[in-house]
Parts: sequence; structure tokens; C-alpha cells
Amino acid sequence: MTAQGSVEEIAVTIAERPAGTPPDESILLDVRGLQTHFHVMDGTVRAVDGVNFSVPRGGTVGLVGESACGKSVTALTIMRLLDIPPAEIVGGEVWFDGTEILGLPEDEMRHLRGNDIAMIFQEPLTSLNPVFTVGDQIAEQVRLHMKVDKKEAIDRSIESLRLVGIPSPEQRIKQYPHEMSGGMRQRVMIAMALSCEPKLLIADEPTTALDVTIQAQILELLKSVQARTKSALMLITHDLGVVAEMVDEIVVMYAGQIVEQGTAEQVLTAPTDPYTMGLIESLPNVEKRGGRLSAIKGVVPSPFNLPPGCRFAPRCPYAWDACRTTSPELVPAGGPGQRARCLLHTPAGAARRAAMLDTAASGGATAGQGA
Amino acid sequence: MTDPTTTSTPAPAAPAPAGSAAAGALEGEEPSTEALEQDWRTSDLPGLPGDAPFVDPGLAVVEGETLLHVTNLKKHFPVLGGLLKKRVATVYAVDGVDFDVRKGEIFSLVGESGCGKTTLGRTVLRLIEPTAGTIRFGSADVTKMKSAELRRLRSKMQIVFQDPFGSLNPRMPVSDIIGEGLIAQGLGDRKERDKRVGDALEAVGLRRDYTRRYPHEFSGGQRQRIGVARALALEPEFIVLDEPVSALDVSIQSQVLNLLLDLRKDFDLTYLFISHNLSVIEYVSDRVGVMYLGQIVELSSSEELYRSPRHPYTLALLSAIPDPDPRRRRRRLVLKGDVPSPVNPPAGCHFHTRCWLREQLGDPEQCVAQEPELREIGPGHRVKCHFAEQVSPTKAAEFASAHSPVEMAAADA
Ligand SMILES: Nc1ncnc2c1ncn2[C@@H]1O[C@H](COP(=O)(O)OP(=O)(O)OP(=O)(O)O)[C@@H](O)[C@H]1O
Ligand SMILES: Nc1ncnc2c1ncn2[C@@H]1O[C@H](COP(=O)(O)OP(=O)(O)O)[C@@H](O)[C@H]1O
Ligand code: SF4
Ligand code: SF4
Ligand SMILES: [Mg+2]
Ligand SMILES: [Mg+2]
Repeated sequence: MTAQGSVEEIAVTIAERPAGTPPDESILLDVRGLQTHFHVMDGTVRAVDGVNFSVPRGGTVGLVGESACGKSVTALTIMRLLDIPPAEIVGGEVWFDGTEILGLPEDEMRHLRGNDIAMIFQEPLTSLNPVFTVGDQIAEQVRLHMKVDKKEAIDRSIESLRLVGIPSPEQRIKQYPHEMSGGMRQRVMIAMALSCEPKLLIADEPTTALDVTIQAQILELLKSVQARTKSALMLITHDLGVVAEMVDEIVVMYAGQIVEQGTAEQVLTAPTDPYTMGLIESLPNVEKRGGRLSAIKGVVPSPFNLPPGCRFAPRCPYAWDACRTTSPELVPAGGPGQRARCLLHTPAGAARRAAMLDTAASGGATAGQGA
Repeated sequence: MTDPTTTSTPAPAAPAPAGSAAAGALEGEEPSTEALEQDWRTSDLPGLPGDAPFVDPGLAVVEGETLLHVTNLKKHFPVLGGLLKKRVATVYAVDGVDFDVRKGEIFSLVGESGCGKTTLGRTVLRLIEPTAGTIRFGSADVTKMKSAELRRLRSKMQIVFQDPFGSLNPRMPVSDIIGEGLIAQGLGDRKERDKRVGDALEAVGLRRDYTRRYPHEFSGGQRQRIGVARALALEPEFIVLDEPVSALDVSIQSQVLNLLLDLRKDFDLTYLFISHNLSVIEYVSDRVGVMYLGQIVELSSSEELYRSPRHPYTLALLSAIPDPDPRRRRRRLVLKGDVPSPVNPPAGCHFHTRCWLREQLGDPEQCVAQEPELREIGPGHRVKCHFAEQVSPTKAAEFASAHSPVEMAAADA
């Protein structure tokens, strides 16, 4: 669908847009310098720490990273669903469809949610109301956002359940959430999210709680409705296989920051940031049978005690002195539009990178141009 | 990153450009069967390199002396109801399972949630009493053992539990968690025990001086290491690993997998490895049993299973794995409906309510009338399907091309 061109465009918009001005028409969602902190007993968690990315109209973007890196908080900040306090949106702008929405009054925001932006969550049981039938819940959603009578709302609910592949929807609308399996509930959530034909669908780990054959059903369903409705999709997952299948562009997060962004193909087949490389290398597969997996050493740093300089330095196989003092910026690396947060891609790291590429050419480990 | 098929094909022959099959499907055009087969045969469907020879004589059946021998094992749980808490129904959690584990191998069980993996793993150790069947460990009949004998056996057979957060007592320091088994076995004095606890911690890559700490002070990966250390402290021969890496992030998952493989080598261990993650299973296993609704439906060497699966369920499982290479987006075989409840498993073949092959063969009555046996269709390769000989990637491709994925999933189950 979208090719490298759009990423270049995004790179340009990132560079050019001054604060307070809307992005280009082609951009549906534009997140700029977003910072969300949590003030808790042990101190302040900088859960989202200066995040920039865009979702083109009708485009698909994946947010990936390991647990606690800030994926869900990014989504919840965009949706304005965080409790403030403990959360605080410290800085940044979120432009949606030409409007900055962090500053929108709550009633306008409520109108946006469900109408233009819909979200589905990891555990569909907790986001459905247990005391109402699924039919009532979808019909309510429809009536809230479209001016239709009750009868038509119910017809639309049945139709939207049929659309997500639920057999005999006329019967199913009379059931309660707990009477359905996890896969079935996730279908209902998708049906609800899509019943109002949103411009943007945010899906936070929509298949993580599901079995692999049910996950396959749900992913296929998401793909087909996304293609039909032309909604844009922001997919959050820790599963590199799932993003590879679903999105055109990928944003990789580590410890609250974006560490790499680019097209799915760039990021997954030619990663340029050492963390992305490490993640991909550590996936088990049949070719590695009999050998060791290349694991990333150590663990994610505590959010209360982030290392100085590059946050990945304590675990990075390529780290050198500068990494422990200088915080790297996201800079162009690899293919067109691709960016990485790594000093190897700055003038200071150029010599090292060249040396590594030489070793790589003669059969050693690779950095810079990926595996 | 890469699938098994590209290893055997020297040039990963023009990987399907992102979107070729997928985009066709998205725009609602049905890709031709020919195009699909082309895709499935080159690099499109993990584990299915085309119609492989029925049995590959070059494939070594893993040799070795049998350590664990399980015959017709069943575990049925009563569902109690009413005021008198009488049995109103039965959960057929494990329902007639046969397999061997050979000394030194990693035998894996894979299947979806609720198919009975954990129940089977625990029943093998008699942490759960079997309803029927026999379990032999070496020359001993585990099913007949009295409790004293069973306790002695526990030092040889250990388990690492599924949930690294729930399985460690939060009020116990690490020294007690790991040393508990040693005390139960009456092994060693205080000093000897402390040494073995320290050794076990070191073996799993933790520091000896962590013994005074409590579970909440550790990350998920570290807790899983403590679970492994607890099992190791007794110097067992055999360990059941129940989803040892499922709760962990990928970067930590690979650390723990490396550890488990190292320990197996260093201590001559045999593993029964349980997971729902098909990529992990393929990476670690010598042989694999695929479970569905309390039964093993296919059993073979790992290579053969992933290269030449013969049960319609196994094909669907392999087809469902998301491939982390975006250049290989492909059309997949999607199963309809959900896994039925193990309270009332479908008659005949338990899989018949979701089986694409049965549908393709025109719904033969035999699938409903008669339960298929887990029968040998080649050396060391057993399949529980009346029509296993007719299963092939071509058949699967035909089926996938005749229906859109959403149609396949929606069909009334
Ligand atoms: N003590 C019990 N009483 C009644 N039913 C049980 C009991 N333990 C397990 N079951 C049921 O037996 C079946 C098999 O459960 P089991 O935990 O073995 O599945 P599993 O394959 O390990 O699943 P998962 O992948 O979710 O861990 C399920 O239907 C489960 O609900
Ligand atoms: N309500 C909250 N209160 C305090 N800290 C929170 C809260 N929600 C999230 N966090 C913290 O913010 C960070 C990012 O969390 P999250 O976005 O949920 O991660 P993930 O990438 O797994 O979705 C983590 O350190 C998490 O502990
Ligand atoms: S900046 Fe240094 S420590 Fe950080 S990722 Fe790059 S090489 Fe590694
Ligand atoms: S026996 Fe019939 S229903 Fe069962 S797997 Fe084989 S073809 Fe499918
Ligand atoms: Mg999350
Ligand atoms: Mg289990």
C-alpha cells in the first residue's frame, strides 16, 4: 500500500512543522514531542519521553517494543484516557485530522472518541460491560454517534457482528460478554469499534490474549475491515510477526523513547538501531537450531533509574565511552526515511560504524546495515 | 526471521513482494490457485515446502533408550453442581494419550489454551492423580507407587511451572524456595543444603548471594531462573517445563532458552517441554506431540512435523504463525470457530467441527461416526486422522484459495 515515499514525506514533516501548526493534509494523526509522566510514590516515571510519529490517512503504523516501554501510555495519551493525576501530559502536541486534540475540551474529545478514533484493548472482557447484552452495547454505541432509531441501531449491530464473522448474529446479540469466548469477545470489540466507521483505529495488543489460530482469525478480520473501511490503523504489539503482517510502517520503542522508525521492511529486514537488531536476532527459528540464540544481555532499566547517555548502553554490544555520556537523537539511518537513535549513525560514530561494516564484510558481526 | 523452506532453497527465490498474495486478497480478488501454490511452494507458508515426499527416509528417528513411557493416560475432572455438589458433567482434560520420551531428548507438547498440556505434564509426575492409564519412568511404574516411593522419585522428576509470578511463594526467601525440595527429600545438613542452593543459583546465572532475597525483588526472567534452580537443586534426570518462556519478553526469552539448552547439556537432562509458541517449539524440540482437546493428534520428529505435517489441525497451526519477515505476507488457512469445550468433545474425530479437510472431502460420515486412531503413517510419524494420506499443502492451498480468510473463520461451527 504505502511505499517508501510516505515515510520520506513524514521525515520532511517532522523536520519542517513548527509547533502550533497543523501537519500536511495527508497526515491523519501527528504526534509531536509527546511526554507523559506518572507521579508515583517512588518518584516520576517518564513513561513517554519525547515521541514523534505520524499516521497517514488510511495508513497502517505499528508500535512495537517490550513490556513497559510506553506503548500503551502513548495510545492512552492520544485517546486522553489517562487519569490525571497520577499521569501528567508534560509536553507535546497531538494533531488529529487537522486539530490539536490535547487541548480540546472534554466534551469535544468524547465526541471524537468512538466517532473518529476508536480503540480496542488487549483484554476484551474488561472493556465490555458485563451486565448488558453485547447487542445493547453495540446499539448504544451506534446510537450515541449516529442519528438513528433503536430498531435501526439493532439492525446495524447485527450487521456489524456479521461483518466480523460471528455466526447467527441475531442470536448472539442477546448474549452477555461472559457467555462468549475470548476470540468472540474480541470480534465484538472490533465490531463496536468499527460500527461508527472511525478514521483511526487504535488496537492495543488485540491478539495477545488469544490462541494462535484465533489470533489468525482476528488479524485476517482486521486486515479485511481496514481495507474495506479505509480506516487508518495504529497497531500496538510486542510481536514482531504480527506487525510484519499487518502494517506498512513501524515505530520501535525502548524505555519511553522511539529508537527506530521506518517501513516494516526496512525495520524488520535491515534494522539500524542496535536494540532493534538485538530483538530480531533473539527470535528463535529453525535456522538457529542446535546453536545458541543471540540474546540481549541484562534487563530493561528501571524507569526510576535510567542510565545516563544512551538508555540502551548497559545492554548494547556496540556501546563505547560516548554512549554513556551523550543521549543520542533520532537521526537518519539506513534506507530513505528510516531513522535510528544511535550514535553510530552520527559523525561521532561514523568511524566505528565503518570499521564494523568492514568486519561484517569479512564475515563478522554487523551493525549499521542490519542482518 | 527466515522460515525453514528458505534454508533448503539456496536463493530465497524472489520472496513474494509484500502484498502480492495479501493485497490480492484485500482488494477482494481471489488469487488463482496456481499463484497460491507457487507462493506456498517457495517461501510462502512456513513449514510447508510443497508436497514433500510422504516419508523422508533420510530423516533420523531420534534413537535412544526410553525414559518415560505413557500409555492411554486419562485425566477427567468432575464438574460439580447443585446443592449436593454432585458430578453433573466431566471435563475430559486429558483423554487417552500415548507417548514415549527418550533419554536425553527434548520432547515437546504444543497446542492451544485448554487442550490439556499442563494437566498432562502434571499428571505424568502424579502431581495430579490420573483417572486411567500407566506411566513408566525407567523401569518403575509411577502409577502404582506409594507416597514414600513417589517422594523419592520426585528427586529424579521435576517441574518448572507455567507462571513465574504465581509459582514462587512471595513470603519465602530464595534459599527456602530452592532448598524446600532438599529438605523434603531429607538431603544434606544445613551446610550441604546451602551449598547446593548456591550451586543451583550459579547454574542458572544468578548470584550465590541472592539467597536472602524475596521473589518480588526479581524480574520475570530472574523468577523463571529461580524456578529452574529449584528444579535443578535436586539433581533430577527429567524436567517438565510448562511454558517456561511464555510470560517473558523476547530478549529475556532468548536468555532463558539458552540457559535451558546449556543445562540440558551440562547435566544430561531430559525435558518434556510444553509451549503454545510454535517457533520456540521448532527451535528446541527433537520430537513434538500436537495436542487438541485432550489428545495427541500428531506426533513426529520436529523436522518432519514442520516440513511435512499430516494432520489438518497441524497445518492450520503452522499456517497461523505470524512471520516476522514483511516480504513474505501470504494467504493463510484459517480455522473456523473456536476450540469446542472439553466438557462435551465432539463425537468421532474431536476436530471434525473445525476441519477444513473434512469439508473439502464432502463431509465424510466416518469423521463423526468413528474416532480415528493415532496411527503410524511413516517411521516415527503418527497421525490421528482417517484421511491423513490425503493431507497436502496443495490441498490446503486449494482450500485457502476457494475461501476468503474471513469466510473460513466465520463458517458456522
Ligand atoms: N482442577 C480442574 N478441575 C476442572 N477442570 C480442570 C482442572 N484443571 C484443568 N481443567 C480443565 O482441563 C482442561 C485442560 O487444562 P490445562 O490447564 O491442562 O490446559 P493447557 O493446555 O495447559 O492450557 P494453557 O495453554 O492455557 O496453559 C481445560 O478445559 C481446563 O479448564
Ligand atoms: N497508571 C500508571 N501509574 C503509574 N505508572 C504507570 C501507569 N501506567 C503505566 N505506567 C508505567 O509507564 C511505563 C509504560 O507503560 P505502558 O505504556 O503500559 O507499557 P507497554 O509498552 O507495555 O504498553 C511503565 O513503566 C509503567 O509501569
Ligand atoms: S548509542 Fe551507543 S549504546 Fe546506544 S545503541 Fe548506539 S551504540 Fe548502542
Ligand atoms: S478424521 Fe476427518 S475430521 Fe478428523 S482430522 Fe481427519 S479429516 Fe478431519
Ligand atoms: Mg501495554
Ligand atoms: Mg497450561
